[in-house]
This record gives sequence, structure tokens and C-alpha cells, in this order.
Amino acid sequence: MDDNGRRKFLGICLGGMAAGLAAAFLYPVYRYLAPRTNSGAVAKVVIPEKDVLEGEAKFFEFAGSSAVLVRKKGGELVALSAVCTHLGCIVQWEKDKQDFICPCHGGHYTPDGVVTAGPPPRPLAKLPFSVANGAITVG
Amino acid sequence: MKLLKRLIDWIDVRIGVREVAEKELTGYLLPRTINVWYSMGSVLLVIFGIQVLSGILLLIYYVPDADNAFKSVTSIMNDVPFGWLIRMCHAVGSNMMVLVLLLHMFSVLFMGSYKSPREFNWLSGFILFTMVQGISLTGYLLPWSQLSFWATTVATNSANAIPVAGPYLVEFLRGSKLVGPPTLGRFFALHVALIPLGMAALIGAHLFFLKRTGVSTPPFGQADSTNQWKGGSYQYEDHPGGIPFFPNYALEDLRSVFIYLALFLAVVFFDPYLFFPKDAFLPANPLVTPAHIKPEWYFLANYQTLKIFPNELIGLSVQAVAMTFLALLPFIDRGRERHPLKRPLFLVCAIGGLLLWLGLSVWGHYS
Ligand code: HEM
Ligand code: FES
Repeated sequence: MDDNGRRKFLGICLGGMAAGLAAAFLYPVYRYLAPRTNSGAVAKVVIPEKDVLEGEAKFFEFAGSSAVLVRKKGGELVALSAVCTHLGCIVQWEKDKQDFICPCHGGHYTPDGVVTAGPPPRPLAKLPFSVANGAITVG
Repeated sequence: MKLLKRLIDWIDVRIGVREVAEKELTGYLLPRTINVWYSMGSVLLVIFGIQVLSGILLLIYYVPDADNAFKSVTSIMNDVPFGWLIRMCHAVGSNMMVLVLLLHMFSVLFMGSYKSPREFNWLSGFILFTMVQGISLTGYLLPWSQLSFWATTVATNSANAIPVAGPYLVEFLRGSKLVGPPTLGRFFALHVALIPLGMAALIGAHLFFLKRTGVSTPPFGQADSTNQWKGGSYQYEDHPGGIPFFPNYALEDLRSVFIYLALFLAVVFFDPYLFFPKDAFLPANPLVTPAHIKPEWYFLANYQTLKIFPNELIGLSVQAVAMTFLALLPFIDRGRERHPLKRPLFLVCAIGGLLLWLGLSVWGHYS
């Protein structure tokens, strides 16, 4: 009995230490694996106005994701997230049809991001931008 | 508790786990006189596990490319949160593994546990020993530091001494005339895939042999410490009236593991660069050889042996003979006595060999 009591005590101590050690290492390993996103999360993107011609679209990276600037026929500018609202593929610009198509499941959007066909449930997200001195600032 | 019991019942009626636990854990009896040296194998299993886990974590950020390897390792140390911890565990752990492995081998030597019928155990262990050397050597190159580059240059160059095939063998080992990007490619594959898989397989074989022969009885504290194996037919060495592996010896294993972890973490936290000379912090430069290029501590004796013989082939042959002798020891030493103090010839050779190894290492360190 006495011997078993001591063995049990030792077992609980060693087991407890093992659990404590494992927990102490779990946090560093989690931090090691966690994505480090804060880099450039709020950075603005500046694009020269002459890079976006009428009837064309310019894709670029914005806040760790993909975005697009379109200059519609008539000259109006639109800045959109290029991430399809269905399952997250990146939409493509169809210059001849003046619309966006998503290659994954055939979603269609107007240059303003409004869904015209296919499975996407929501329009493409609009991004804030401003134009000054021949430069477009997105963000 | 009730729920747990019901869960175990549910599993037990299907695959009979209680029978396995009874046979392998609580009913697996070990000699009453078993000592702390028998727990070195469990410590080694834990170290191997830590090396595999920390190695997989390092693979996430390490880039096996000559132009980027050093940068990626520097970034693991400086930028990735706790990257320093993972890398230091891996680098310090590799050194500690060799140390514990040597203790395991010495205890097997001094207690005469390599004798019949444990030849397979010894041989599989010996191959594991060479694999640990191989995994250390190949891992050393991966940071692509000055130390990595030149230590690998010197190590691979020693194959040059082999007659006829030597020069081609060196080029084959390196994948190019000099150590370069092709060397990194092959060493990387060896270090992260081939050798670890081979080691896992051999550890499996090592434990299988142990299970089939049964654990040896320590030669200490017995009137008759000779080998009881009869030969002629298969015979499992059981220990009626012994202590159960679980919980008794498992607790002793665990205690040894914790003493090991305390030492290991003391190095990781208080002297992490213990095993790092300063050339480890400079990126590899194939055009500048640093002044004092030395291998890791456990290769210093090999290094010094190559230096003291005027002819490299002799130096290499001496080492080959020593390794072959060690590998074949159970077939050479066939005496029945297992107690070290009753084996004077063995004791003199073993201690002499140990002192020679230590002497050569110290000499290599200061030369
Ligand atoms: C990665 C390396 C190794 C691991 C993980 C390992 C693991 C183990 C384990 C768990 C045991 C059973 C418990 C014990 O007696 O310690 C054992 C026994 C043994 N090992 Fe190893 N070992 C390794 C390397 C070696 C080497 C290098 C040798 C010798 C060349 C060796 C020779 C033996 C022998 C002869 C036994 C049987 C001891 C007895 O029954 O008394 N092992 N090993
Ligand atoms: S992801 Fe775009 S349509 Fe399905």
C-alpha cells in the first residue's frame, strides 16, 4: 500500500509535469505556425491613372488579397475586390463583353460588380479610392 | 470515469485491448535488479520524437536552396515567432542524442548485454549509430554557413584516400567537383527523408529483437553473472516474479526522460550556442576558407586520427577497422561472463578505448 501510494504520487507529479511542459510548448508552436498577416494590411496602393485605359481592367494586390480597377466606357473608375463571392476564385475581365467572368463556376458580374449570372450570392466588394494629380490611391 | 470505462469496454469487446495491455504493460515483467541504464533507450525514443517534430516545424520555413538557405535560417532565428526555440531544440537535440546514444552503447557494453542471443539487437543498434552520425553530418550542411560548407568539404574529401575509386566517390557524394548547390540537394533529401525513415524502420527492428529475446538481467548483485542462454533452440528470457513494466518501470523511464529534458532545456535556454562556433554565423563563401575549421565534437576523434597518420589511407583504414571491430563485437567476444569486473581483458580494452577516444577528441579540439 505504502509503496503503491508513493508510486501513485510520483506518477501524478511526473504526469502533471509532462502535461505542463506540453502546454508550455503548445503556445510557442502555435505562434510559430500562426500566419503573420499584419504586414501591409492597411497599406494603400497607388496606381498611375494612365495605367487604366478606357474599357480595360488592371489587377493588383491589395491588403493581402486581389483587387481590380476598371475604367468603364465613358471614363468612370471602379475599384473592386477581385475575389468571387461564390467560392473565392479570382474573376477575369472580358474586354469584348465588358464584364467579369469567374472561371470556376461561370459566375458573371458587371463592371460595377453586380451579379448577372451564375452562383455568386453577392456582388463583388467595392473598395474606396481617390484620384489626385494623375494617380489613383486605393485604400 | 464510468464513461471512460464504458468506452474502454466498447473497444475491448471488439479488439481485446485489455489483453494487449496485460501482456505488454502490466504483465510484462522485468528483472527486479533492473537499473537506470535500461532507461536510456526510452530517452532515445523521446529524443528521436523531438527531433522529428522540431524538424518538421523547421521545414515550414527552411528553404533548401544554396542562395536562400542561410537567409531562411537567419529569418527563422530572428523573424519567425519562437523560431529560435524550434531551431535550438533541433540543433542542441542532435548533439544530446549522440551523447545519450553513447551512454546507451556503453551500458550495453559494460553489462555484456550484446552477448548471445542479442547479436541482432547489437547489430541493429550499431546501424542506428552510423545513421545518427549520417543524419548529423548531412544536417550540418543545411544552414549553408561557413561552418557547414567547409566542414562538409573536409568530411567528403576524406573519401579521396580510398584507392582508385576515391576521387569519383568524392564527386559522387558532392554531386559536383566541389561542395555546391548539388550537394545541398542530396544532403537535404538524405537528412529529411531517407535517413529518418531508415532510422524509424531500424528502431522498429531494434525493439522487435528486444521483444523476442526478452530484456537481459543486469549482471550486478548476482552470485552467478554468466550468460544463461543455452543456444540450440529459441528461448525467451523471462523474469518470473519481476517488476511490471507498467507502472513500475515506466515511471523510472519517465524520471530519466525528465532528467534528460532538464539538461536539454538548460542548454537550450542558458547556453544555446554551446555547440556553435562563430563560423556558424557567417554565410558560406566558397572562395574563403576560415582559419580553424573543425567538425562537431563527436567527430573530433575521427578528424584527429586522419591528421596524425602521414597517409590518409592508413588513417581511414584504422577507423574502418575500429568500426568493424565494434560492429562484430558479439561475434568476437564470446565469453559467458557478463559482469565487467570479472572480465579484466574486456575492461582494459573498453576503458583503454574510451580514453583513447577522449584523448584523440581533446587533441583534435586543441590542435
Ligand atoms: C536511435 C538509437 C537507438 C534507440 C532509439 C534505441 C532504443 C532502445 C530501447 C528502447 C531499448 C530497450 C530498453 C533499454 O535497454 O535501453 C534498447 C535496447 C538495446 N539497445 Fe538500443 N537504441 C538505439 C541505439 C543502439 C545502439 C547504437 C546500440 C549498440 C550498438 C544499441 C544496443 C542495444 C542493445 C544490445 C539492447 C538490449 C539491452 C538489453 O536487453 O539489456 N542500441 N534500445
Ligand atoms: S468561385 Fe466564382 S463562380 Fe464559383
